[in-house]
Amino acid sequence: MKEKDGFIDYPDQQIILYVEKEDGQYGPIQTGSYLSANFMNDFLHKRKNLEAGLRGQLIAGKISPVRFYMVMEDLTLQELSARSGIRQSRIKKHLDPVSFGKVTADELNHYASVFNIPAANLLQVTLIFTNDEFQSNVILENKAKNISVTQSATQNPYVVLTKIEERK
Amino acid sequence: MTIPNFNHKMAAHCESGTLTSLLNYAGLEISEPLVFGISSGIFFGYFHKTKAFSFPTFIVRNKPGQMRKNIEKRLGVKFSTYTFNSPDKGMAKLDEIIPQNIPTACQVDFFYLDYVPSWERVHINAHFMTVIGKEGNNYVISDAYFPTIMQLDTGSLEKGRFAGGNMSPKGFMFHCKTIPQTIDFESAIKKGIKKACFNMLSIPIPFLGVKGIRMFAKKVVEWPEFARDTEHLSHEIMKINILLEDQGTGGAGFRFIYATFLQQAAEIIHKPQLKDLSQQLMIIGDGWREISLFAARIGKNRDLGQEKLRQLGDMIHDRADVEEDFFKNLSKAIN
Repeated sequence: MKEKDGFIDYPDQQIILYVEKEDGQYGPIQTGSYLSANFMNDFLHKRKNLEAGLRGQLIAGKISPVRFYMVMEDLTLQELSARSGIRQSRIKKHLDPVSFGKVTADELNHYASVFNIPAANLLQVTLIFTNDEFQSNVILENKAKNISVTQSATQNPYVVLTKIEERK
Repeated sequence: MTIPNFNHKMAAHCESGTLTSLLNYAGLEISEPLVFGISSGIFFGYFHKTKAFSFPTFIVRNKPGQMRKNIEKRLGVKFSTYTFNSPDKGMAKLDEIIPQNIPTACQVDFFYLDYVPSWERVHINAHFMTVIGKEGNNYVISDAYFPTIMQLDTGSLEKGRFAGGNMSPKGFMFHCKTIPQTIDFESAIKKGIKKACFNMLSIPIPFLGVKGIRMFAKKVVEWPEFARDTEHLSHEIMKINILLEDQGTGGAGFRFIYATFLQQAAEIIHKPQLKDLSQQLMIIGDGWREISLFAARIGKNRDLGQEKLRQLGDMIHDRADVEEDFFKNLSKAIN
């Protein structure tokens, strides 16, 4: 690849690409990601649709919160088990929305730690009204237009502090 | 505090970039392509169905951690390595080493790195970055994928270092211990190339090396069977581009950086044939890049019928043929 063909203007995701320079020597250039520069909207659109579809099933009682996050974070049963320390047979039960009721608070904390969310978020869905519609905080990640939602851990391992503020 | 005189540089790949930075800091002038080539980083493996991955996938480099082992073996460099059963002990050891001005590489799950944009984060336990200081509750991080030095809070670093699952890091960290007075680069380069040729041509496992590229070409038409819906299939097909281009490869699934290695190696060991081969590999890499772009395009357009997937498979199969010839010629040139 020639140096002139390697440059992509996309400051948000920079990468190192090895190219043929004008003097025939091969070497690195810092450039933007071609995929992100050209297809980011499509990626985000698919992610938003995936979340909305799973959320619909979650609210309708068709899947459990564990299934929701497992699919969102692209984890297999084996991976989730190895990461959470919870047996696969037990996770299988927690994937079912009814049997999820048998989950212990300790197991909730283990799942939450793997999913990198507060345990409380396995029992609630937070939607924020922004850009004329309710959108999931999982997707917005505190980037809503007028409202800021921040969650922080407390000394109590089962309690999260959620602050909702109007953006100035 | 931040370790003085540590030169943060972006790199094509996290492991070869981290190794290069540590070696440079310890006084050994060596480029990332040389580290990559000497450590036989170039590879191919296709995984159609495993319990660790939710969808078929492939790799374009050798096993995580292998680059460091190969560099140690071939350059005579010594690294101090550590793993831990207890996160407390793992973090305490890091806190003990950093104030001694020793840059220390850590293996982490990419998902827990808060400085990575959320849309980029995936659970992968094989990311390497270098801790170069600590300020309050935050570690100062040199991550080869970012243009500037980053900060990461203690909780996130601990989570990343002690994530469970496939290739669990177990707090693994390493730093440079000694650099030998003299290094036989000629021998190291030849050993690195021979092993790369063996890995690509002779491992008797049907999903590794050139055989793995052929399996990928054949099996990609079966990918719709694994997909939840069209958007999922589109996402996975577009991930071909991510794995070949964006996920730290230097472009074309490490083929461009390996071509650069061969060009540099030709000068060092006075073998002009390697320069010709580096040009051939640059062209082979352009072919991989066409695959990346094709995958991104059909994924975006949801043009994912059997005919398009067969076309994609044919393009991949063609890479297997040219790479088989290439590595055979490379093997001959080095022997």
